[in-house]
Amino acid sequence: MIMVDMLSAILVSGIVLGSGYALMASGLSLVWTTLGIFNFAHGVLMTLGAYVAWTISSGGGLGLGLAAGVAVTVAALIGAGILIERVVVRPFYDHRDILLITVMTTLAAMIFLQNGIQLIWGARLKQLAPIVPGTVQLWRTTISAQETLMIVLAPIVLAALWLFLSRSRIGRGIKAVGQNADAARLIGIDVSRLFIITFALSALLAGLTGVLLGSVRLLTPEFGSEPLVKALIIVIFGGLGSLGGTIAAAYLLGIIEATLTFFIGIYWTPSMIFLLLIVVLLFRPQGLLGKVVR
Amino acid sequence: MSNNQNALQIVDLRAGYDASDVLHGMNLYVGANERVGLFGPNGHGKTTLLNTISHVIKPRAGRVCFMGEAIDGLAPQKIVARGLVHVPQANRLFPDMQIMETLELSAFTPRARAEMKANLDYVLELFPRLAERRRQQCKTLSGGERQMLSIGVGLMCAPRMLMLDEPTLGLSPKLKDELAEAIAEISSRGIPLLLVEQDIAFILSLVDRMYLVDHGEISREINRSAEVDHQEIMDMYFGSGAHDHG
Repeated sequence: MIMVDMLSAILVSGIVLGSGYALMASGLSLVWTTLGIFNFAHGVLMTLGAYVAWTISSGGGLGLGLAAGVAVTVAALIGAGILIERVVVRPFYDHRDILLITVMTTLAAMIFLQNGIQLIWGARLKQLAPIVPGTVQLWRTTISAQETLMIVLAPIVLAALWLFLSRSRIGRGIKAVGQNADAARLIGIDVSRLFIITFALSALLAGLTGVLLGSVRLLTPEFGSEPLVKALIIVIFGGLGSLGGTIAAAYLLGIIEATLTFFIGIYWTPSMIFLLLIVVLLFRPQGLLGKVVR
Repeated sequence: MSNNQNALQIVDLRAGYDASDVLHGMNLYVGANERVGLFGPNGHGKTTLLNTISHVIKPRAGRVCFMGEAIDGLAPQKIVARGLVHVPQANRLFPDMQIMETLELSAFTPRARAEMKANLDYVLELFPRLAERRRQQCKTLSGGERQMLSIGVGLMCAPRMLMLDEPTLGLSPKLKDELAEAIAEISSRGIPLLLVEQDIAFILSLVDRMYLVDHGEISREINRSAEVDHQEIMDMYFGSGAHDHG
């Protein structure tokens, strides 16, 4: 029975971790697949989402309740995504070193936003009220209802994202732009408009992750840093250009991380995860489900 | 020569990449229902011309009028929406998309969507091979199939005029004949054509009139009725002392 309890604890916390990672990494993966750049400001967008939600909803802020908090966060994050695309990515679309340039410009945006958050909200720790309070017993393991919500919500959001990309006209257009922007232009697709939509969608996913994690973890201006690093690992691990690979890798990494944390503790786990990434890339340079050439 | 009945009218068009000009003032027109060829060696601006007309490259000077209206300031998607459709050279299309997915997606502009059903039937009838391979991904297609799909994609855009850039590049004589037949069928529907080709026999079999392109300019216009034979064109174009090809 102890064995089963242990397995249950590892698996449940692994899936909780994986749900957050999947939401976070899918946004990063979407931008990579469509624009061919890494958005290093993706983590701070998550932080921003959590802080905006806190300001609108909690008693320490405006106290307007959770629904208002989520609504304003959605609007604010779409705006923030569009702003980042406009200011630090758009000027370099025609540049052949766009990948390297945007590493620098999105890193700059990250630092700027992170310090801006520190300036506006201060360094004092904050926490969002959970969307659903209480605890839930899940396969012999007790977790908070908020974490259960994440487990349920993540697949729904990701399925909606998948449906949007594969069924809607705009979504199919986004996929086409990612595969061949020139050919997309010549069939009448407004490429730059779809770039904006992609960024807005990605920022929205980051903000949503922030709102969900903001009641499980404590808010600091560096709230999104660790998730950004994990999301980067996941996108590379799952295979660049494959959203399915990203999602699979997110859950896999969540379970691996939970297992390692259980057996070797939290101090060694991050380095072991990097070791694992290196080993995987040695044998499969394209990642788990990635294409050999983008 | 210059009138509003023309499908396409290009006046003193200049364009290029970075510091260098490739088009040094191009002048040409395509009449309504006319099939016009562009012939000339590689690197003399034929592809750049098509890219500039479809606004993939921004023109530096000059005018492009389509159906009597200036389009040289319009974004590529707006030009496609008006019905001027460019089928680029060696288009690798969307590698991970299936044939049917690609064709359906290509009816992207509102006007093209309205005609999607009819155009899809037409493309599959014109190229039965695409119908047989409808679930196949673009990246796994052969050169000939990819070229057929490229033209099919162009037709799905509901063209009022087609610009084809070397549709027979790297194809076997048998496939060239098949494509020539398909292109002739398309233009018989009243769609004006601007055809870029290196294969002189192919181009002469399809066009009413043709321009010779040399160093980013039109060096000569040849009417089909003039009955110029192939050798004569080759001599004119590559012949002794006509131009310095350093």
